[in-house]
Amino acid sequence: MTPLLQLHNIRKDYGGLRAVDDVSLAAPENAIIGLIGPNGSGKSTLIDLIAGAAEQTAGRVIFAGEDISDLSADAIFKKGIARGYQEPSLYFKMTVLDNVLLPVKDQRGERPWYAPWRRYWAHEEAGHAEAAVTVLEQVQLLQHYDTLASDLSGGQMKLLEIARCLMGKPKLLLLDEPTAGVAPKLAYEIFQQIARLRDDYGITFLIVEHRLEILFDFADYVYVMHLGNLLAEGTVAEIANDATVREVYFGD
Amino acid sequence: MINIDIGATAVAVLTLFGIYALMAISLNLEYGVAGVPNFGKALFVSIGAYTAGVTYTRLLPLLAGLESIHPCGPSMGAALQLRSEIMATQPAAGFINLALTFALAAAIAGAVGFAVSYVTLRLKEEWFLALVLLVGGETVRILVRGADDLICSNNGISGVAQPFYFLRDPGASSFLFMLLALALALAAYLYSERLVRSPFGRMLKGLRENEDVTRGLGKGISLARAQIMAVGSLIAAIGGVLFALNTGFVNTNDFVVNLTLDVWVMVVLGGIGNNRGALLGALLIAIMDRLAQIGAIILNMGGSEIEFNYVRFIAFGLILLWMLRYRPGGLLPESRLTTEAHEVVKRVIGAAK
Repeated sequence: MTPLLQLHNIRKDYGGLRAVDDVSLAAPENAIIGLIGPNGSGKSTLIDLIAGAAEQTAGRVIFAGEDISDLSADAIFKKGIARGYQEPSLYFKMTVLDNVLLPVKDQRGERPWYAPWRRYWAHEEAGHAEAAVTVLEQVQLLQHYDTLASDLSGGQMKLLEIARCLMGKPKLLLLDEPTAGVAPKLAYEIFQQIARLRDDYGITFLIVEHRLEILFDFADYVYVMHLGNLLAEGTVAEIANDATVREVYFGD
Repeated sequence: MINIDIGATAVAVLTLFGIYALMAISLNLEYGVAGVPNFGKALFVSIGAYTAGVTYTRLLPLLAGLESIHPCGPSMGAALQLRSEIMATQPAAGFINLALTFALAAAIAGAVGFAVSYVTLRLKEEWFLALVLLVGGETVRILVRGADDLICSNNGISGVAQPFYFLRDPGASSFLFMLLALALALAAYLYSERLVRSPFGRMLKGLRENEDVTRGLGKGISLARAQIMAVGSLIAAIGGVLFALNTGFVNTNDFVVNLTLDVWVMVVLGGIGNNRGALLGALLIAIMDRLAQIGAIILNMGGSEIEFNYVRFIAFGLILLWMLRYRPGGLLPESRLTTEAHEVVKRVIGAAK
């Protein structure tokens, strides 16, 4: 079976700096793939490249058998790739509910000629609201639907970001440090949620994470980056016992 | 002492309010809701006024079944007399001409707004658009002024009578014209309120708050911005037609950058992102304008040499600074909900309990 996501020889130069150098990786369906490495190893850049927020200097991105290398970020989202950000990037001045309703695809009421006439989209909107109830319930944010996103706790913000992605019905979710700035217990719960979403919806996750003690409990496969290169790959057990990885990552 | 006719003053203020309200609502949709800094408001208002200048001189005589006379140069007087006569005696021609003027002005301004933003907003900095429009508005104004035939360069077009002129009763026709301006402002207000409370409004607010994230969530943001610029520009152009009819005069000097800044003051004063705030800002500025005029007359009659227009500029500058410092959200801050989805969720939760 062909993998859901394949990167072929991805390179990214920023001026004279090579942030990502000849990286190839593959993510199968229905899996949690860890992407680890020291700071500045090119992980976040790689996420940006896949999501279309930046353009690769060379290489190809294949998603579900289709070359999406040159698509814009909005087109890539529509193909089924959603992403979270390292810094919380919610619509802080909007309610939790509006945050999750915005990404729903192909909304009739988003076209300016339908928008003023509620009868063209009210029914559809009510359907989206019900879908939002299900998603918000999964991340335990339903009772906060009316709260401004800026009033949530750090952990809730991370969960809302995942919920927002889910409303676009993605096949692949790219998460950049989904537990950054979150208390350890809640960080573990966030990963439990992620595992549940993989099992219930068959979503594939590509997760950049520094908290290896948690990631290693959940990841199905791990890639290690160092200075823009792919240093190693393997199962959690293989990576944890890899001598080179230990050397660059843990410094021993 | 001077005599102030309270009734006539109220009609004048409310007419001006209706016209300003159209401009303020259009800027509120663009900047307040979508975050597109349109510093070319004067350009889009002027498109409406210039359109009126052209239709009143070229189209109106044809609608009245008469030969049109070249409005500029030696035949200027005859052309003015012709259109005044038609407006006084042939109301049907006047109304049809006005309807076509509205349609034409809206179509041209909407197309220009769409095209300008689609081209410039593809660039990273949206403030680039602000500069393009600021400079572009002034450039268009100078080009129109330099064109001898369009609206007679520096002379402008006078005798752009409002449609109820045929009544031959200034009080009644002014009152009806006020109703027309208020009705159009109300329509624009209701339309904008619905827009803000729709998924389209939600997307625009998202765009305003975080462009990159909104693109990452699958929204075609260049198109959305061009669409709201088209909507805003056509509303502004309708305001521009009324503006010309209200003064009875189309002249490029009315559409300098100051007009744009006036509209910005209205929106910032009233409440950025709130349509009711835009209405409030428009009303306050309309009242201030009238007070300034009365104040200027009183000052001049008292022999003062203060130029009241400058007092107005200073006052507007102070208002802007004070608002941005102490009430950046404006007098009426924005409402935070969009669609009825919140009620749907409330019902679902209620039913589950």
